[in-house]
Amino acid sequence: MGVDNSLNLEKFCENFKVEVIDIKDEESSGTDWDKENSIEFDMVGIDASLANAFRRILIAEVPTMAIEKVLIANNTSVVQDEVLAHRLGLIPIKVDPRLFEYKSENDAATEKNTIVFKLHVKCGKDSTRLTVKSDQLKWLPGGSELPMAAADSSSKIKTYTSFSCSQDSLPEFSNNPITPAYPDITIARLRSGQEIELEAHVVKGLGKTHAKWSPVSTAWYRMLPEVVLLQDVRGENAEELVKKCPAKVFDIEDG
Amino acid sequence: MNAPDRYERFVVPEGTKKVSYERDTKIINAASFTIEREEHTVGNVLRMQLHRDPNVLFAGYKLPHPLQYKIIVRIQTTSQSSPMQAYNQAINDLDKELNHLKDIFETYNQAVNYASLSNHSY
Repeated sequence: MGVDNSLNLEKFCENFKVEVIDIKDEESSGTDWDKENSIEFDMVGIDASLANAFRRILIAEVPTMAIEKVLIANNTSVVQDEVLAHRLGLIPIKVDPRLFEYKSENDAATEKNTIVFKLHVKCGKDSTRLTVKSDQLKWLPGGSELPMAAADSSSKIKTYTSFSCSQDSLPEFSNNPITPAYPDITIARLRSGQEIELEAHVVKGLGKTHAKWSPVSTAWYRMLPEVVLLQDVRGENAEELVKKCPAKVFDIEDG
Repeated sequence: MNAPDRYERFVVPEGTKKVSYERDTKIINAASFTIEREEHTVGNVLRMQLHRDPNVLFAGYKLPHPLQYKIIVRIQTTSQSSPMQAYNQAINDLDKELNHLKDIFETYNQAVNYASLSNHSY
């Protein structure tokens, strides 16, 4: 009954192998504007359904952090509020999502589940247009600075987040501040006199909920075919065979 | 307007069981398992594993509708086994295989990190 499947497990353990063919990361790619982050690896001994499951999980079920709520104090640019918020959501944030917890709708925004960014740009009275890039998003380790409209006259001003301690004091962030992954993403363009002032809250999520939380630009797999020649091919036939294959799969072995 | 919320894809609502079981009335040793809030990622892998069991005569999964987030896995076995046994065995074996996969990746990852740390100078 179960005997055959357990034998499969041993066979699987013997036959399974992983080989990394290529890794391209920030250190290896030279030019600034062509930074590619990719890895290509071969898995030997697994079924297509497992490879597909891997692909689907990479796209949809690996959590990341992305901007979810945008509190806009002032936006006099030509980019509408919702379009601006959409663009901000798609900006990748360079932070390890394992350091954070999920936040649901009713949870309070604490330092354990939220990161706060602030964007305040104003294009001066001179005529040159200003492009707002993602490096102008400033991290606020102490939480939100926008006050909520509170009717009571207590001395404590309530903001949109309740951080019990500054995120700066946590060991992971004390020397490396949280920033967007790429500093040169255009968010909006401003003319003289236009201003954008907003606060963005970053939250953990899955690609399943929205593509902005997908950690990969894409992930794909293909099966590597194995070509077995049933008969020896020699002499002229061999040379013709090598020439005919457009992918140059064949090679002539002497002797 | 009629689209369900995105979190419905993976959040099982209160009161609904994640997996439910229904025996087939007309065929012996056949049953359907309904798994809530799962899709091809789990269904295809489970089906593949069930095919490897020699006692399983029929194994298949379907998504009845793309906007209803559940899968139905139908299993028919020989009289030597039962669908429940085949299902449990398949899941346990998959668990062991995937744990092994994870271990291999982790040892590889450590080996690669070790190698790259000795190559790069920080």
